[in-house]
Amino acid sequence: MQESLKDKFLNDFEVNQNIAHKICRLYTSNKNDHNDLFQEITIQLWKNYPKFRGDAKFSTWMYRVALNTAISLYRKSTRTIKTHDISDVEFKIKSEDYDDTEEQQLKALYTAIRSLNDIDKALVFLYLENKNYKEISETLGISEVNARVKMNRAKDKLKKILNP
Amino acid sequence: MDVLDKYKKAWDNQPEDSQKVSKDDIYKMAHSRSSSIVKWIFIIGLLEFVIFQCSYFFYDTEKGYEMYKKMNLENFYIVTQIIGYAILLFFLLKFYKNYKSISTIDNTKNLMSKIIKTRKTVKHYVFFNLSYLFLVLTVVTVAMTNNEIEEIPEEKKIYIIIGLIVFGLILILLFWLFYQLLYGILLRKLNKNYKELAKLNELN
Repeated sequence: MQESLKDKFLNDFEVNQNIAHKICRLYTSNKNDHNDLFQEITIQLWKNYPKFRGDAKFSTWMYRVALNTAISLYRKSTRTIKTHDISDVEFKIKSEDYDDTEEQQLKALYTAIRSLNDIDKALVFLYLENKNYKEISETLGISEVNARVKMNRAKDKLKKILNP
Repeated sequence: MDVLDKYKKAWDNQPEDSQKVSKDDIYKMAHSRSSSIVKWIFIIGLLEFVIFQCSYFFYDTEKGYEMYKKMNLENFYIVTQIIGYAILLFFLLKFYKNYKSISTIDNTKNLMSKIIKTRKTVKHYVFFNLSYLFLVLTVVTVAMTNNEIEEIPEEKKIYIIIGLIVFGLILILLFWLFYQLLYGILLRKLNKNYKELAKLNELN
């Protein structure tokens, strides 16, 4: 029984690990911290996996645990991120035809989001991952109205950074 | 147009992370040691309970009891002992219950509020202990100046009591500073994030 739970977890996590990597990229500023946070997320997911019920999607559940780990359990913060730190984060191009402009845009976007506070980061991240306001508000524990208000403010901040 | 629309395609098309982790590594990581804030709060909290209890070992209970007896404070001694242990038990249970209620699958706000609540239980315990110590010390000093040291002139007794109160207050202040430093470092990020979410709810 324990064996199958372990295999199931490893399968689920391996397929969805990119969610954790994206969160690590947003909440840490160098490779070491990225790995640290990734490890802590893995520990928390495994620890709580027996409580995970199959009626929700693993990825939905993972967003919550991983973000909670980054925001509340992980101690180091990204307060002193400078623009050049983004170069620490590797974006290895997997497919040959990955658009160069898109790569630049992605780097600019990551830099901009990383300059926001931890809560705004989570909001923008969930929004980019196509979560609706109901899901966002449930994940963060705030009302839907507040999620919208906060999101609009975060977008204004991003606008200033991305289109100065 | 929404500022994020322009970047949405780049976000959706972003390649997989270059640090893709294998199943073997995931397994190893899942079984490694956690360094989360919650774990630290639990360890530090337990240490505080232990340290405060250990401090009583340096105190010779029998000799102490004899001294209380001399001052006609036996009942006070017994009552304070019973209350002391009852309150220790109460705080320990509360601490454990709060710690157990912390769950990473909760929503962010609840999770943070439970972490803060657990930390506060220990804080209250320590401050309770300090005030308790202060109270006992005051009663003993007053009793001593009245019973034991009769040669002390009346007007000097007041200085002893004032001195003790000042000493007690300095002790509490030092502890408070230590606390600000310890938990300030540990929980600075968490407190900031919690305030950010709490501020939001005040809007409504």
